[in-house]
Amino acid sequence: MGEVSPKIVHTLSLLMILTSFAAVEAGNLRHATVAYLFQALLICGLLTVYSVENSALLYWAGTALVTKALLPPLFLWKATEKSQQETKPLIGFGPSSVLAILILIVMYVFTHAHASVFVQTALGSGSTPYEVGEGLISLAETNLAVAFTVFTLGIYAILTRRDAVKTVIGLCLLENGVHLSLVSLAPTMRETALAGIATEVVITVWLLLYVISGIRDRFGTTDTSQLTELHW
Amino acid sequence: MSISSAVSSNEVHSILPALVVFVPAGAGILIFLVGKLLWTRAAIAQLAAAATLAIAVSIGLAVLNGDVLICFGRQFRADELSALLLVLVAAVSFITMIYCPVYMRHLVREAGIPSTTRGRLTVFYGWLMLFIATMLWACLSNNIIMLYVAVEASTIASGLLVAFSWDRRALEAGYKYLMLLTVGITFALFGCVLVYATGSSILGGSKGLLISELKKVASSFPSTTVALASAFLIVGFGTKAGIAPFHPWLPDAHAEAPTPVSALLSGIMLKVAVYAMVRTVTLFYPNFPPVAAFVLGLGVFTMILGDLMALAQDDLKRMLAYSSVSQMGYVMLGFGLGTQLGIYAGLFHIINHALAKSLLFLAAGAVMYSSGARMLSEMGGLAKKMPITSFCFFVGALALSGMPPFNGFQSKLALFVAGAQAGAWWAVILAIATSLITLIVLVRAAKSIFWGKIPDSIPESVREAPARMCLAMLVLAVGCLAIGTYPQMLYSPLSKAAKVVQTVVTPPTDAFAKR
Repeated sequence: MGEVSPKIVHTLSLLMILTSFAAVEAGNLRHATVAYLFQALLICGLLTVYSVENSALLYWAGTALVTKALLPPLFLWKATEKSQQETKPLIGFGPSSVLAILILIVMYVFTHAHASVFVQTALGSGSTPYEVGEGLISLAETNLAVAFTVFTLGIYAILTRRDAVKTVIGLCLLENGVHLSLVSLAPTMRETALAGIATEVVITVWLLLYVISGIRDRFGTTDTSQLTELHW
Repeated sequence: MSISSAVSSNEVHSILPALVVFVPAGAGILIFLVGKLLWTRAAIAQLAAAATLAIAVSIGLAVLNGDVLICFGRQFRADELSALLLVLVAAVSFITMIYCPVYMRHLVREAGIPSTTRGRLTVFYGWLMLFIATMLWACLSNNIIMLYVAVEASTIASGLLVAFSWDRRALEAGYKYLMLLTVGITFALFGCVLVYATGSSILGGSKGLLISELKKVASSFPSTTVALASAFLIVGFGTKAGIAPFHPWLPDAHAEAPTPVSALLSGIMLKVAVYAMVRTVTLFYPNFPPVAAFVLGLGVFTMILGDLMALAQDDLKRMLAYSSVSQMGYVMLGFGLGTQLGIYAGLFHIINHALAKSLLFLAAGAVMYSSGARMLSEMGGLAKKMPITSFCFFVGALALSGMPPFNGFQSKLALFVAGAQAGAWWAVILAIATSLITLIVLVRAAKSIFWGKIPDSIPESVREAPARMCLAMLVLAVGCLAIGTYPQMLYSPLSKAAKVVQTVVTPPTDAFAKR
């Protein structure tokens, strides 16, 4: 087995957080889609790098390529044909940037202090199918920090973006965070289970965009704050 | 230890668990393929639902005889608890299918739903059968990750059913439904993955995926992992089960979906989500009782909030939807007590609520079908014009409020006794008070629909719903009455199912010795 270079992992991770942030912040939905595409490709890259340690992760990279980097951007591109400008978000760029940095710091500290709670089989324990040195334990923790940051950025986008298409991009980010975190949490998971999880995300994204196209027809906008037909 | 030696004496390889999922799934795919060519999609759906019920019942009978049916290398495993849910899901689906065709044809024609009737109904029946198949799959999955996949698949399969009417309200409900449930259920995935990862570090390899194996080692999990995993599982599956405060999607979706779908969503989908929660969270009951206390607290909160919200509704279906929130609180209360009797009562209430709430939704649909009205304030005096619907609605309302001689009385009584036995008097008092609110909510609704004068907005020509719709309602009403007057028929299957679930007081080794 080869060795994973921490430098490459750190560079890809940092780039991924930046692209995730760009996907959340870009005012033009097509730009956001492109940012998301790069983010998804970076996940494939990271998984490929990790596969030096555990060759099964190469399948994960393949799954991610189809279900993260290929199909969702395609659906998003089609969904943004009619209008590309995002509805003004609830929270603007300035506060968002501060918040994103805060999320990253909190997640980094949290995962490095409490990794043992999450990381049971991950890149560290001797009872797992592959054994690794001490250096990789911290890589597993860094990976979790990055994954949880991307996950939280996704939730943040869903909560604070008013444009329905943007909330779908948020959902995609969230699910990418999940996918990446599974590398640390459950690297021995079978491909069938993983493919099941990933496929469902793709179908959900497609269904959501289909419903949103109906919303655009009926409401004349994709602004979720206009969805006020149903009150408690 | 090899897989074959791990198979205990009462585990029997069988094709039935696979069939019960593949029959409705196959029917769904067949409808998508040929539904546009032939005028048979409703017939295919009904036949498949009948076959599914027959298979589910035969699984139930085999399980009652002491067998545990397994297939696909124990990926599917039908024990007493699974079988109970299987029969319930299959039965309610079948009864709804009797009701469905007449109602849906009317909905599509009268409501002026855009696009061609044929195409839309094909899509409807196709997804409906897939929806039923995914719920059955969830009841059978012994693989903890696939359990999540199946529960999420049921969200996907029902997404377009919720938005079926394709008007502003339905689209809004559909968007919220898909978005909130997908985000919520992701937490359940984290929970499942944590349990799997910890379990497989003890069991080794893919055995950590099997719930029946995890049960044996759950006691040796670190307590922080248990706390985190339980919280994730309760939030994730709880969102899907309509547990407050994760319920906001529920009233929208259940009210805006076509009525047969509402009956399935409220009647059985919520139960499948609770089942998933019970399967996973109770793994930790024997060694980590605070988990049960958390479930109990959430249950009581849900029970009260749901009924208070129901009290404020004028929209008939929305009111029923909020009432479902409240009743899921009762179910959670039972499971949260963590005793054998509490779990027994929770399961009993799952069955009774499934029957009574499906009945109420179908009756509400019949009222909307005949009168064209859906607001309580726009209705009145329909008892004379619609005697069967009115009878059925009253049966459902009284059953849900826990009045004898209907089934709700039996399960609520069991819940109260279980609460008292566990010393949770505060929960029992709150549950009894909430039952009174339920009675007020439902009797008030029944009164404003069926008593008084018929308002001018409803045409004089209003008639009883068509025979097939009445038949479906009557079957459910008879079920409510039969279980209420002769509850003994469920004692054996219920207590056997309750024994599968781990309790707070029984150590896991004892629980296994009993099985």
